[in-house]
Amino acid sequence: MLNMVQPYLELSGIQKTFGTGLLQTEALGHIDLSVVEGEFLAIVGPSGCGKSTLLQIAAGLTPASAGTVHFNGLAVNEPPLGIVYLFQQYGNSLFPWRTVLANVAFAVEHKPGMTRDRARAHSLRYLEMVGLADVAHRYPWQLSGGMQQRVTIARALAAEPRILLMDEPFSSVDALTRLELHALVLDLWTRHRFTAVLVTHDVDEAVFLADRIAVLSSRPSKVSKVIDTALPRPRDSISTSESARFLSLRHEILSMLLGRPA
Amino acid sequence: MKSSTMEKALGAMTIVVILAALEMAVRSGYVNAALTPSPSVVLAKTAGIVVAGSLWEPLRSTLYLLFTAYLLGSFLAIGLGLLMGRIQALYDLFEPLIEFLRPLPKPALLPPLILFLGLGDAMKLTVVGMGVFFPVLVNTIQGVRGTDPVKLAVARTLGHSRASALVSVVLPSALPMIFAGLRVSLGLGLILVVIAEMLAGTGGVGYLIIDMQRSFQVANMYAWILILAVIGFSLNYLFLQLERRAIPWAIPSSS
Repeated sequence: MLNMVQPYLELSGIQKTFGTGLLQTEALGHIDLSVVEGEFLAIVGPSGCGKSTLLQIAAGLTPASAGTVHFNGLAVNEPPLGIVYLFQQYGNSLFPWRTVLANVAFAVEHKPGMTRDRARAHSLRYLEMVGLADVAHRYPWQLSGGMQQRVTIARALAAEPRILLMDEPFSSVDALTRLELHALVLDLWTRHRFTAVLVTHDVDEAVFLADRIAVLSSRPSKVSKVIDTALPRPRDSISTSESARFLSLRHEILSMLLGRPA
Repeated sequence: MKSSTMEKALGAMTIVVILAALEMAVRSGYVNAALTPSPSVVLAKTAGIVVAGSLWEPLRSTLYLLFTAYLLGSFLAIGLGLLMGRIQALYDLFEPLIEFLRPLPKPALLPPLILFLGLGDAMKLTVVGMGVFFPVLVNTIQGVRGTDPVKLAVARTLGHSRASALVSVVLPSALPMIFAGLRVSLGLGLILVVIAEMLAGTGGVGYLIIDMQRSFQVANMYAWILILAVIGFSLNYLFLQLERRAIPWAIPSSS
Protein backbone atom coordinates (compact mmCIF):
# COMPACT_ATOMS: atom_id res chain seq x y z
CA MET A 1 0.00 0.00 0.00
CA LEU A 2 2.62 2.54 1.09
CA ASN A 3 4.94 1.55 -1.73
CA MET A 4 2.42 2.63 -4.32
CA VAL A 5 2.50 6.28 -3.24
CA GLN A 6 4.79 8.70 -5.09
CA PRO A 7 8.05 9.00 -3.09
CA TYR A 8 8.38 12.35 -1.34
CA LEU A 9 12.06 12.14 -0.53
CA GLU A 10 14.04 9.80 -2.74
CA LEU A 11 17.63 8.69 -2.23
CA SER A 12 19.02 6.92 -5.30
CA GLY A 13 22.36 5.16 -5.50
CA ILE A 14 23.86 7.19 -2.63
CA GLN A 15 27.52 6.42 -2.01
CA LYS A 16 29.92 8.12 0.35
CA THR A 17 33.64 7.52 0.67
CA PHE A 18 35.93 9.29 3.12
CA GLY A 19 39.62 9.99 2.54
CA THR A 20 41.72 9.05 -0.46
CA GLY A 21 44.23 6.37 -1.47
CA LEU A 22 45.07 3.74 1.14
CA LEU A 23 43.10 5.58 3.81
CA GLN A 24 39.95 5.59 1.71
CA THR A 25 36.96 4.08 3.46
CA GLU A 26 33.66 3.40 1.86
CA ALA A 27 30.97 4.36 4.37
CA LEU A 28 27.82 4.11 2.28
CA GLY A 29 27.86 1.40 -0.36
CA HIS A 30 24.87 2.04 -2.55
CA ILE A 31 21.74 3.22 -0.83
CA ASP A 32 18.31 3.42 -2.43
CA LEU A 33 15.59 4.60 -0.11
CA SER A 34 12.22 6.24 -0.63
CA VAL A 35 10.34 8.21 1.98
CA VAL A 36 6.59 8.54 1.61
CA GLU A 37 4.88 11.83 2.44
CA GLY A 38 3.53 11.88 5.98
CA GLU A 39 5.14 8.67 7.14
CA PHE A 40 7.44 8.05 10.08
CA LEU A 41 10.51 6.21 8.80
CA ALA A 42 13.25 4.93 11.06
CA ILE A 43 16.73 4.01 9.86
CA VAL A 44 18.60 1.58 12.10
CA GLY A 45 22.03 0.08 11.68
CA PRO A 46 25.16 -0.95 13.55
CA SER A 47 27.29 1.89 14.88
CA GLY A 48 29.69 3.30 12.28
CA CYS A 49 27.50 2.24 9.37
CA GLY A 50 27.06 5.84 8.22
CA LYS A 51 23.45 6.39 9.27
CA SER A 52 24.10 9.98 10.29
CA THR A 53 26.07 10.67 7.11
CA LEU A 54 23.15 9.36 5.09
CA LEU A 55 20.78 11.68 6.92
CA GLN A 56 23.11 14.66 6.39
CA ILE A 57 23.20 13.89 2.68
CA ALA A 58 19.40 13.76 2.64
CA ALA A 59 19.36 17.18 4.36
CA GLY A 60 21.72 18.70 1.78
CA LEU A 61 24.29 19.35 4.52
CA THR A 62 26.91 16.93 3.18
CA PRO A 63 27.53 16.14 -0.49
CA ALA A 64 27.28 12.50 -1.57
CA SER A 65 30.20 10.92 -3.45
CA ALA A 66 27.70 9.50 -5.91
CA GLY A 67 23.94 9.31 -6.25
CA THR A 68 21.11 11.80 -6.03
CA VAL A 69 18.58 13.09 -3.52
CA HIS A 70 15.22 14.36 -4.69
CA PHE A 71 12.73 16.18 -2.50
CA ASN A 72 9.30 16.65 -4.01
CA GLY A 73 10.84 16.06 -7.44
CA LEU A 74 13.67 18.60 -7.08
CA ALA A 75 17.35 17.67 -6.72
CA VAL A 76 18.82 18.46 -3.28
CA ASN A 77 22.36 19.88 -3.23
CA GLU A 78 22.02 22.55 -0.56
CA PRO A 79 19.70 22.45 2.48
CA PRO A 80 16.29 22.98 0.85
CA LEU A 81 13.42 24.96 2.29
CA GLY A 82 11.12 22.41 3.87
CA ILE A 83 13.70 19.98 5.22
CA VAL A 84 15.07 20.53 8.71
CA TYR A 85 17.78 18.47 10.37
CA LEU A 86 17.63 17.88 14.11
CA PHE A 87 21.05 17.26 15.62
CA GLN A 88 21.97 14.67 18.19
CA GLN A 89 24.19 17.15 20.07
CA TYR A 90 21.52 19.43 21.54
CA GLY A 91 24.15 21.12 23.69
CA ASN A 92 26.15 22.19 20.64
CA SER A 93 23.21 23.06 18.49
CA LEU A 94 21.73 25.65 20.87
CA PHE A 95 23.20 29.16 21.02
CA PRO A 96 24.31 29.95 24.58
CA TRP A 97 24.15 33.69 23.93
CA ARG A 98 20.45 33.54 23.12
CA THR A 99 17.53 32.94 25.46
CA VAL A 100 15.42 29.84 24.87
CA LEU A 101 12.85 31.97 23.04
CA ALA A 102 15.49 33.64 20.87
CA ASN A 103 16.96 30.23 20.05
CA VAL A 104 13.58 29.11 18.70
CA ALA A 105 13.13 32.43 16.89
CA PHE A 106 16.35 31.68 14.99
CA ALA A 107 14.24 29.33 12.86
CA VAL A 108 12.03 32.12 11.50
CA GLU A 109 13.55 35.56 12.18
CA HIS A 110 15.31 35.68 8.78
CA LYS A 111 12.21 34.85 6.76
CA PRO A 112 11.05 37.62 4.40
CA GLY A 113 8.53 39.97 5.95
CA MET A 114 9.10 38.62 9.47
CA THR A 115 9.01 41.16 12.29
CA ARG A 116 10.62 40.71 15.68
CA ASP A 117 7.25 40.57 17.43
CA ARG A 118 5.80 38.02 15.03
CA ALA A 119 8.91 35.84 15.30
CA ARG A 120 8.61 35.90 19.10
CA ALA A 121 4.89 35.13 19.12
CA HIS A 122 5.43 32.29 16.64
CA SER A 123 8.30 30.88 18.68
CA LEU A 124 6.35 31.07 21.91
CA ARG A 125 3.58 28.94 20.38
CA TYR A 126 6.13 26.22 19.59
CA LEU A 127 7.65 26.46 23.06
CA GLU A 128 4.16 25.95 24.48
CA MET A 129 3.80 22.80 22.37
CA VAL A 130 6.88 21.27 23.96
CA GLY A 131 5.83 22.52 27.40
CA LEU A 132 8.61 25.06 27.85
CA ALA A 133 6.78 28.40 27.65
CA ASP A 134 7.64 29.08 31.29
CA VAL A 135 11.40 28.97 30.65
CA ALA A 136 11.28 31.07 27.46
CA HIS A 137 13.46 33.78 28.96
CA ARG A 138 16.08 31.52 30.48
CA TYR A 139 19.31 30.53 28.78
CA PRO A 140 19.86 27.00 27.40
CA TRP A 141 22.66 26.25 29.86
CA GLN A 142 20.23 26.82 32.70
CA LEU A 143 18.09 23.86 31.53
CA SER A 144 18.42 20.08 31.86
CA GLY A 145 19.52 17.98 28.89
CA GLY A 146 15.99 16.75 28.19
CA MET A 147 14.65 20.31 28.25
CA GLN A 148 17.44 21.47 25.93
CA GLN A 149 16.53 18.76 23.44
CA ARG A 150 12.90 19.86 23.65
CA VAL A 151 14.04 23.41 22.76
CA THR A 152 15.79 22.09 19.64
CA ILE A 153 12.63 20.17 18.72
CA ALA A 154 10.56 23.35 19.14
CA ARG A 155 13.08 25.26 17.02
CA ALA A 156 13.06 22.64 14.25
CA LEU A 157 9.26 22.57 14.17
CA ALA A 158 9.00 26.38 14.33
CA ALA A 159 10.58 26.35 10.86
CA GLU A 160 7.43 24.41 9.83
CA PRO A 161 9.33 21.72 7.91
CA ARG A 162 7.67 19.31 5.52
CA ILE A 163 10.30 16.75 6.49
CA LEU A 164 12.02 16.52 9.86
CA LEU A 165 15.26 14.53 9.80
CA MET A 166 16.26 13.41 13.29
CA ASP A 167 19.78 12.20 14.04
CA GLU A 168 19.63 10.10 17.22
CA PRO A 169 17.93 12.97 19.03
CA PHE A 170 17.09 10.89 22.10
CA SER A 171 20.40 9.12 22.61
CA SER A 172 21.97 11.42 25.16
CA VAL A 173 19.11 11.84 27.61
CA ASP A 174 18.19 9.49 30.45
CA ALA A 175 15.79 6.58 29.87
CA LEU A 176 12.65 8.14 31.37
CA THR A 177 13.20 11.45 29.61
CA ARG A 178 13.64 9.49 26.39
CA LEU A 179 10.20 7.89 26.77
CA GLU A 180 8.68 11.32 27.41
CA LEU A 181 10.38 12.73 24.31
CA HIS A 182 9.13 9.77 22.23
CA ALA A 183 5.56 10.51 23.27
CA LEU A 184 6.08 14.23 22.62
CA VAL A 185 7.48 13.68 19.12
CA LEU A 186 4.70 11.23 18.22
CA ASP A 187 2.10 13.70 19.44
CA LEU A 188 3.64 16.58 17.45
CA TRP A 189 3.96 14.36 14.37
CA THR A 190 0.30 13.35 14.64
CA ARG A 191 -0.86 16.94 14.98
CA HIS A 192 1.43 18.62 12.44
CA ARG A 193 1.53 15.94 9.76
CA PHE A 194 5.15 16.43 8.77
CA THR A 195 7.21 13.56 7.38
CA ALA A 196 9.61 12.15 9.94
CA VAL A 197 12.87 10.32 9.33
CA LEU A 198 14.68 9.09 12.42
CA VAL A 199 18.17 7.65 12.54
CA THR A 200 18.80 5.57 15.64
CA HIS A 201 20.72 2.57 16.96
CA ASP A 202 17.96 1.88 19.46
CA VAL A 203 15.74 -0.85 17.98
CA ASP A 204 12.98 -0.41 20.59
CA GLU A 205 12.81 3.28 19.79
CA ALA A 206 12.60 2.61 16.04
CA VAL A 207 9.83 0.01 16.41
CA PHE A 208 7.88 2.14 18.86
CA LEU A 209 7.91 5.29 16.71
CA ALA A 210 8.03 4.26 13.07
CA ASP A 211 5.67 3.13 10.32
CA ARG A 212 8.57 1.60 8.43
CA ILE A 213 12.08 0.68 9.45
CA ALA A 214 15.03 0.56 7.06
CA VAL A 215 17.75 -1.74 8.39
CA LEU A 216 21.26 -0.92 7.21
CA SER A 217 24.15 -3.38 7.04
CA SER A 218 27.62 -2.57 8.36
CA ARG A 219 29.93 -0.57 6.08
CA PRO A 220 30.00 -0.21 3.20
CA SER A 221 26.37 -0.12 4.15
CA LYS A 222 23.38 -1.03 2.07
CA VAL A 223 19.69 -1.26 2.93
CA SER A 224 19.30 -4.88 4.06
CA LYS A 225 15.57 -4.74 4.50
CA VAL A 226 12.68 -2.32 4.86
CA ILE A 227 10.10 -3.53 7.37
CA ASP A 228 6.53 -2.31 7.72
CA THR A 229 5.88 -2.20 11.47
CA ALA A 230 2.08 -2.39 11.12
CA LEU A 231 1.66 -1.50 14.76
CA PRO A 232 -1.61 0.27 15.57
CA ARG A 233 -1.67 3.94 16.58
CA PRO A 234 -1.93 5.72 18.92
CA ARG A 235 0.98 4.00 20.56
CA ASP A 236 1.57 3.84 24.27
CA SER A 237 4.93 3.94 26.05
CA ILE A 238 4.07 0.90 28.15
CA SER A 239 1.51 -1.30 26.39
CA THR A 240 2.77 -0.98 22.80
CA SER A 241 6.17 -2.30 23.76
CA GLU A 242 4.55 -5.33 25.43
CA SER A 243 2.54 -6.38 22.37
CA ALA A 244 3.42 -9.58 20.51
CA ARG A 245 3.92 -7.69 17.25
CA PHE A 246 6.39 -5.28 18.90
CA LEU A 247 8.39 -8.17 20.37
CA SER A 248 8.55 -10.10 17.10
CA LEU A 249 9.71 -6.99 15.20
CA ARG A 250 12.31 -6.35 17.87
CA HIS A 251 13.46 -9.96 17.60
CA GLU A 252 13.70 -9.82 13.81
CA ILE A 253 15.63 -6.52 13.64
CA LEU A 254 18.01 -7.32 16.48
CA SER A 255 18.79 -10.68 14.87
CA MET A 256 19.67 -8.90 11.64
CA LEU A 257 21.86 -6.34 13.39
CA LEU A 258 23.64 -8.94 15.50
CA GLY A 259 24.09 -11.24 12.49
CA ARG A 260 22.16 -14.16 13.93
CA PRO A 261 19.61 -16.32 12.12
CA ALA A 262 16.11 -15.15 12.98
CA MET B 1 30.52 35.35 50.18
CA LYS B 2 32.22 35.30 53.55
CA SER B 3 35.36 33.66 52.21
CA SER B 4 35.54 36.20 49.35
CA THR B 5 35.48 39.07 51.89
CA MET B 6 38.15 37.21 53.84
CA GLU B 7 40.30 36.84 50.72
CA LYS B 8 39.98 40.52 49.90
CA ALA B 9 40.96 41.46 53.45
CA LEU B 10 44.09 39.29 53.21
CA GLY B 11 45.05 40.89 49.90
CA ALA B 12 44.58 44.39 51.29
CA MET B 13 46.69 43.44 54.31
CA THR B 14 49.67 42.58 52.10
CA ILE B 15 49.59 46.05 50.55
CA VAL B 16 49.21 47.79 53.93
CA VAL B 17 52.12 45.81 55.42
CA ILE B 18 54.45 46.64 52.50
CA LEU B 19 53.54 50.34 52.62
CA ALA B 20 53.99 50.44 56.39
CA ALA B 21 57.39 48.74 56.15
CA LEU B 22 58.47 51.20 53.46
CA GLU B 23 57.23 54.15 55.51
CA MET B 24 59.25 52.99 58.53
CA ALA B 25 62.34 52.24 56.45
CA VAL B 26 62.31 55.76 54.98
CA ARG B 27 61.60 57.52 58.29
CA SER B 28 64.30 55.62 60.14
CA GLY B 29 66.82 56.57 57.44
CA TYR B 30 67.54 53.08 56.11
CA VAL B 31 66.36 54.18 52.67
CA ASN B 32 67.46 57.38 50.95
CA ALA B 33 64.40 59.65 51.07
CA ALA B 34 65.69 61.72 48.17
CA LEU B 35 65.32 58.75 45.82
CA THR B 36 62.49 56.96 47.63
CA PRO B 37 60.12 59.31 49.37
CA SER B 38 57.88 57.73 52.00
CA PRO B 39 54.45 56.48 50.90
CA SER B 40 52.80 59.20 53.00
CA VAL B 41 54.70 61.91 51.10
CA VAL B 42 53.81 60.37 47.73
CA LEU B 43 50.15 60.10 48.75
CA ALA B 44 50.17 63.74 49.88
CA LYS B 45 51.69 64.82 46.54
CA THR B 46 49.10 62.76 44.66
CA ALA B 47 46.28 64.35 46.65
CA GLY B 48 47.86 67.74 45.91
CA ILE B 49 47.82 67.05 42.18
CA VAL B 50 44.16 66.04 42.32
CA VAL B 51 43.10 68.97 44.54
CA ALA B 52 44.99 71.54 42.43
CA GLY B 53 43.18 70.25 39.34
CA SER B 54 46.43 69.60 37.48
CA LEU B 55 45.46 65.95 37.06
CA TRP B 56 42.80 66.47 34.42
CA GLU B 57 44.67 67.87 31.43
CA PRO B 58 47.37 65.12 31.28
CA LEU B 59 44.78 62.45 32.11
CA ARG B 60 42.45 63.67 29.38
CA SER B 61 45.30 63.73 26.86
CA THR B 62 46.50 60.21 27.70
CA LEU B 63 43.01 58.64 27.81
CA TYR B 64 41.96 60.39 24.59
CA LEU B 65 44.94 58.91 22.76
CA LEU B 66 44.40 55.50 24.30
CA PHE B 67 40.67 55.25 23.56
CA THR B 68 40.88 56.65 20.04
CA ALA B 69 43.68 54.30 19.04
CA TYR B 70 42.04 51.41 20.91
CA LEU B 71 38.70 51.81 19.17
CA LEU B 72 40.22 52.30 15.72
CA GLY B 73 42.68 49.42 16.07
CA SER B 74 40.08 47.05 17.52
CA PHE B 75 37.41 47.77 14.93
CA LEU B 76 39.82 47.27 12.06
CA ALA B 77 41.15 44.09 13.66
CA ILE B 78 37.68 42.61 14.30
CA GLY B 79 36.55 43.44 10.76
CA LEU B 80 39.62 41.99 9.09
CA GLY B 81 39.64 39.04 11.52
CA LEU B 82 36.05 38.09 10.67
CA LEU B 83 36.85 38.16 6.96
CA MET B 84 40.16 36.31 7.30
CA GLY B 85 38.55 33.71 9.54
CA ARG B 86 35.80 33.00 7.02
CA ILE B 87 37.53 33.47 3.66
CA GLN B 88 40.45 31.11 3.17
CA ALA B 89 41.96 33.12 0.29
CA LEU B 90 42.20 36.25 2.46
CA TYR B 91 43.73 34.21 5.25
CA ASP B 92 46.36 32.79 2.90
CA LEU B 93 47.12 36.28 1.55
CA PHE B 94 47.69 38.03 4.87
CA GLU B 95 48.65 35.36 7.39
CA PRO B 96 52.44 35.31 6.69
CA LEU B 97 52.66 39.12 6.76
CA ILE B 98 50.76 39.22 10.04
CA GLU B 99 52.90 36.50 11.58
CA PHE B 100 55.97 38.57 10.66
CA LEU B 101 54.70 41.91 11.99
CA ARG B 102 52.92 40.60 15.08
CA PRO B 103 55.95 39.64 17.21
CA LEU B 104 57.79 42.88 16.39
CA PRO B 105 57.95 44.98 19.60
CA LYS B 106 55.93 48.02 18.59
CA PRO B 107 58.12 50.62 20.42
CA ALA B 108 60.80 49.81 17.80
CA LEU B 109 58.55 51.56 15.28
CA LEU B 110 58.60 54.84 17.21
CA PRO B 111 61.78 56.22 15.60
CA PRO B 112 60.58 55.75 11.99
CA LEU B 113 57.07 56.91 12.92
CA ILE B 114 58.52 60.09 14.42
CA LEU B 115 60.39 60.65 11.14
CA PHE B 116 57.22 60.36 9.13
CA LEU B 117 54.58 61.77 11.45
CA GLY B 118 56.48 64.04 13.86
CA LEU B 119 55.84 64.18 17.60
CA GLY B 120 52.11 64.87 17.55
CA ASP B 121 48.99 62.77 18.06
CA ALA B 122 49.21 61.11 14.62
CA MET B 123 52.42 59.32 15.60
CA LYS B 124 51.08 58.27 19.01
CA LEU B 125 47.75 57.08 17.63
CA THR B 126 49.54 55.03 14.99
CA VAL B 127 51.87 53.19 17.34
CA VAL B 128 49.16 52.52 19.93
CA GLY B 129 46.72 51.49 17.21
CA MET B 130 49.22 49.02 15.77
CA GLY B 131 49.89 47.57 19.21
CA VAL B 132 46.17 47.11 19.83
CA PHE B 133 45.49 45.74 16.36
CA PHE B 134 47.45 42.48 16.41
CA PRO B 135 46.23 40.71 19.55
CA VAL B 136 42.62 41.49 18.62
CA LEU B 137 43.15 40.36 15.03
CA VAL B 138 44.80 37.06 15.94
CA ASN B 139 42.16 36.26 18.55
CA THR B 140 39.30 37.19 16.22
CA ILE B 141 40.64 34.87 13.52
CA GLN B 142 41.04 32.05 16.03
CA GLY B 143 37.58 32.65 17.45
CA VAL B 144 35.98 32.67 14.00
CA ARG B 145 37.80 29.55 12.88
CA GLY B 146 36.83 27.82 16.11
CA THR B 147 33.10 28.29 15.48
CA ASP B 148 31.33 25.03 16.27
CA PRO B 149 30.48 23.29 12.96
CA VAL B 150 27.21 22.01 14.45
CA LYS B 151 26.04 25.59 15.05
CA LEU B 152 26.95 26.53 11.46
CA ALA B 153 25.03 23.49 10.19
CA VAL B 154 22.02 24.53 12.29
CA ALA B 155 22.10 27.91 10.53
CA ARG B 156 22.26 26.17 7.14
CA THR B 157 19.45 23.69 7.76
CA LEU B 158 17.25 26.52 9.06
CA GLY B 159 17.86 28.46 5.85
CA HIS B 160 20.21 31.23 7.00
CA SER B 161 22.47 32.78 4.36
CA ARG B 162 26.26 32.95 4.85
CA ALA B 163 26.00 36.65 5.71
CA SER B 164 23.26 36.00 8.22
CA ALA B 165 25.24 33.16 9.80
CA LEU B 166 28.28 35.45 10.06
CA VAL B 167 26.34 37.96 12.14
CA SER B 168 24.10 35.56 14.09
CA VAL B 169 26.43 32.62 14.67
CA VAL B 170 30.08 33.31 13.86
CA LEU B 171 30.43 36.71 15.53
CA PRO B 172 28.80 35.73 18.84
CA SER B 173 30.75 32.45 18.85
CA ALA B 174 33.99 34.38 18.46
CA LEU B 175 33.13 37.06 21.03
CA PRO B 176 34.76 35.36 24.04
CA MET B 177 38.04 35.07 22.08
CA ILE B 178 37.67 38.62 20.77
CA PHE B 179 37.19 39.89 24.31
CA ALA B 180 40.29 38.03 25.48
CA GLY B 181 42.24 39.83 22.73
CA LEU B 182 40.65 43.17 23.63
CA ARG B 183 41.72 42.75 27.22
CA VAL B 184 45.33 42.02 26.30
CA SER B 185 45.26 44.98 23.93
CA LEU B 186 43.97 47.36 26.57
CA GLY B 187 47.02 46.74 28.74
CA LEU B 188 49.32 46.87 25.74
CA GLY B 189 47.73 50.11 24.56
CA LEU B 190 48.34 51.80 27.91
CA ILE B 191 52.00 50.72 27.85
CA LEU B 192 52.44 52.09 24.34
CA VAL B 193 50.74 55.42 25.09
CA VAL B 194 53.09 55.97 28.02
CA ILE B 195 56.19 55.06 26.00
CA ALA B 196 55.12 57.28 23.09
CA GLU B 197 54.45 60.18 25.46
CA MET B 198 57.83 59.74 27.14
CA LEU B 199 59.61 59.79 23.80
CA ALA B 200 57.60 62.61 22.23
CA GLY B 201 57.85 64.85 25.28
CA THR B 202 54.77 66.86 24.44
CA GLY B 203 52.37 66.04 27.28
CA GLY B 204 50.30 63.36 28.96
CA VAL B 205 50.89 61.22 32.03
CA GLY B 206 53.87 59.40 30.48
CA TYR B 207 55.57 62.68 29.69
CA LEU B 208 55.03 64.00 33.23
CA ILE B 209 56.64 60.93 34.81
CA ILE B 210 59.84 61.40 32.83
CA ASP B 211 59.69 65.22 33.18
CA MET B 212 59.46 64.98 36.98
CA GLN B 213 62.43 62.62 37.02
CA ARG B 214 64.52 64.97 34.90
CA SER B 215 63.69 67.93 37.13
CA PHE B 216 64.41 65.91 40.33
CA GLN B 217 60.84 66.17 41.60
CA VAL B 218 61.06 62.57 42.78
CA ALA B 219 57.93 62.56 44.97
CA ASN B 220 55.90 64.00 42.10
CA MET B 221 57.35 61.36 39.77
CA TYR B 222 56.08 58.63 42.08
CA ALA B 223 52.74 60.42 42.40
CA TRP B 224 52.25 60.26 38.62
CA ILE B 225 53.33 56.60 38.60
CA LEU B 226 50.71 55.94 41.28
CA ILE B 227 48.12 57.78 39.16
CA LEU B 228 49.09 55.64 36.17
CA ALA B 229 48.70 52.48 38.27
CA VAL B 230 45.22 53.59 39.33
CA ILE B 231 44.34 54.26 35.68
CA GLY B 232 45.50 50.79 34.65
CA PHE B 233 43.63 49.12 37.49
CA SER B 234 40.43 51.08 36.78
CA LEU B 235 40.53 50.36 33.06
CA ASN B 236 40.89 46.66 33.71
CA TYR B 237 38.05 46.74 36.24
CA LEU B 238 35.77 48.60 33.83
CA PHE B 239 36.68 46.17 31.08
CA LEU B 240 35.73 43.17 33.23
CA GLN B 241 32.37 44.79 34.01
CA LEU B 242 31.77 45.37 30.30
CA GLU B 243 32.77 41.80 29.47
CA ARG B 244 30.40 40.44 32.10
CA ARG B 245 27.53 42.24 30.42
CA ALA B 246 28.57 41.51 26.84
CA ILE B 247 29.28 37.77 27.04
CA PRO B 248 27.54 36.46 30.19
CA TRP B 249 27.40 32.91 28.79
CA ALA B 250 31.19 32.72 28.61
CA ILE B 251 31.94 34.02 32.12
CA PRO B 252 32.24 31.26 34.71
CA SER B 253 29.71 32.15 37.39
CA SER B 254 29.43 30.92 40.96
CA SER B 255 25.70 30.11 40.69
